[in-house]
Amino acid sequence: MICQCARLMEDGKIVFIGYGMPQIAAILAQRLHAPRMVQMYEFGAVGPLPATPFVRFTMGGPRNCYKSLAWTNMNTIFAQAQLGMVDLGVLGATQIDQFGNVNSTMLGSDYTRPEKRFPGSGGANEVLTQCWRTVIVIMHERRRFVKKVDFVTSPGYLDGTPGARERAGLPRETGPWRVVTSKALYGFDEQSKRMSLLGVLRGVTEAEVLKEMEFAPLVGEKVEQLEPPTAEELRVLRHEIDPTRAIIGKAARA
Amino acid sequence: MDVLQAGVGEFTVEDPDELRAFMRTEKRREMVDKVMPEAEAVRRYIKDGDYVSFDFSSFTRGPASLVREIIRQRRQNLWFAAKFTLMESTLLAASGCLRGIDVGFLGLGSLIGKAVEEGRIKVTEWTNGTLTLRHLAGAMGVPFLPSRNLLATDTLTYSGAKVVQDPFTRRPIALVPAVNPDVGLVHVHQCDIYGNARCFGPGVSPLETAMASKRTIISTEEIITTDDIRKEPSKTTIPYYLVDAVVYAPFGCLPGGAQGVYEMDTEHFLEYMAASGDEQKMVAYLDRYIHSVSCHEEFLEKRVGVTKLMDLKRQATIKEGYH
Repeated sequence: MICQCARLMEDGKIVFIGYGMPQIAAILAQRLHAPRMVQMYEFGAVGPLPATPFVRFTMGGPRNCYKSLAWTNMNTIFAQAQLGMVDLGVLGATQIDQFGNVNSTMLGSDYTRPEKRFPGSGGANEVLTQCWRTVIVIMHERRRFVKKVDFVTSPGYLDGTPGARERAGLPRETGPWRVVTSKALYGFDEQSKRMSLLGVLRGVTEAEVLKEMEFAPLVGEKVEQLEPPTAEELRVLRHEIDPTRAIIGKAARA
Repeated sequence: MDVLQAGVGEFTVEDPDELRAFMRTEKRREMVDKVMPEAEAVRRYIKDGDYVSFDFSSFTRGPASLVREIIRQRRQNLWFAAKFTLMESTLLAASGCLRGIDVGFLGLGSLIGKAVEEGRIKVTEWTNGTLTLRHLAGAMGVPFLPSRNLLATDTLTYSGAKVVQDPFTRRPIALVPAVNPDVGLVHVHQCDIYGNARCFGPGVSPLETAMASKRTIISTEEIITTDDIRKEPSKTTIPYYLVDAVVYAPFGCLPGGAQGVYEMDTEHFLEYMAASGDEQKMVAYLDRYIHSVSCHEEFLEKRVGVTKLMDLKRQATIKEGYH
């Protein structure tokens, strides 16, 4: 999942990085294929080259903000995102629906008495609203891939009708771009805005992937086979970034 | 401007002229020594029912010792701005200090989630960015600022934002109301006795928080002279007249870190994480780290210890940029 996510981060782009796993993916991408990628963090760090080994919980601290190009603050960073400067955002999520709407707030049908309450938006709403493209990283579980999310924390393609985001006042040509799980990769159909299966991990069948989803995504004629982590990716992850397996162990179990 | 949609979340907005009048009469222009013990700062400036905001995060440059003092003094019915918060909302809620939370990020651990599920804590939904933008509006003395965030989400529905048709472009845009906290808490690297303060490194919104808040309590790693401040004014983050109290609190961010001074205490965070989902463990945690010690100094002496303090200082090997 970390490697699939890292592979979507292009060199030379400005990439908005969320807490936890996206940080690891960003370091991996930067060490392998994207040395000129500029990481951006909501609390204001621009262009850091995080120190490794990666220490758990590090985000606003010196190890993650090491060798930055600029240190600003939250209003400045989100203004720059709103201005159109951020090419890619990477987000975690609790629930996602067929149009890429993301829930990280609550489960249940009654907002006032949630069955389960989660931390809420954090900066996710800004990322999915403002970045030109957004990658959502999520565990591959049936209860997470739902027809309709219980709560729209951050906007995907809304009801999927053409121009729904623009009508609501959201920035043009933005929205979810890829959904990454431990087993599969999804995109969104340009016309219908529905989630579509782009690839499955080598050794996993399409049927196994679809079984773990409440809705049926579009399936293209050619579903790509996703390569498992390469020896080089594993070497950087295990030896440079996370030798104590504080983060990659968790991702592997998922 | 037609209101197209209005969020139903609870919030209040200050009258801008009332705010100006407060700033005119209550914020002292003269440079007076504002250094005082944390207990006195909290007693003097934080009342039951207040809206409290803080900067920057639980892990980095957060005013943790001031939050512990609020809990020690058992303030009640506070409304807390959780704009980049991982543990403070849980500690305050578990201690019975909170009535409600403005949610950027509610906090880590299942206890705080449970408090919301059971309706013991009220929440109004925002996002990290829009909650911080509300502080900027408050800092500017205007009643709201526009944002393209929040639109078309349930987050907006349960926020206090309104969607209007922007009179310039005719497109829908969200307006977020200003927030002027009763109290802002900011931990800084250095300040003088009057409150001219320096924060190094990135941060969420130290200046906006100090400007927007009616009372600002600063805790500091180090007290320096005003001569030092005047030698390098571009380093000043917060000017003295925004500050009401200065608390000398070395290691005041623990278990978080202060950039370039000491690293965060990862072991402590793991202990906290274990307590954040378990009521019994949380009671024990609160008792051990807050109620059984009388002040920050005793916390450092009896609950952290010199060996750990020295180790956390030693770990802060990355200094560049933080001075």
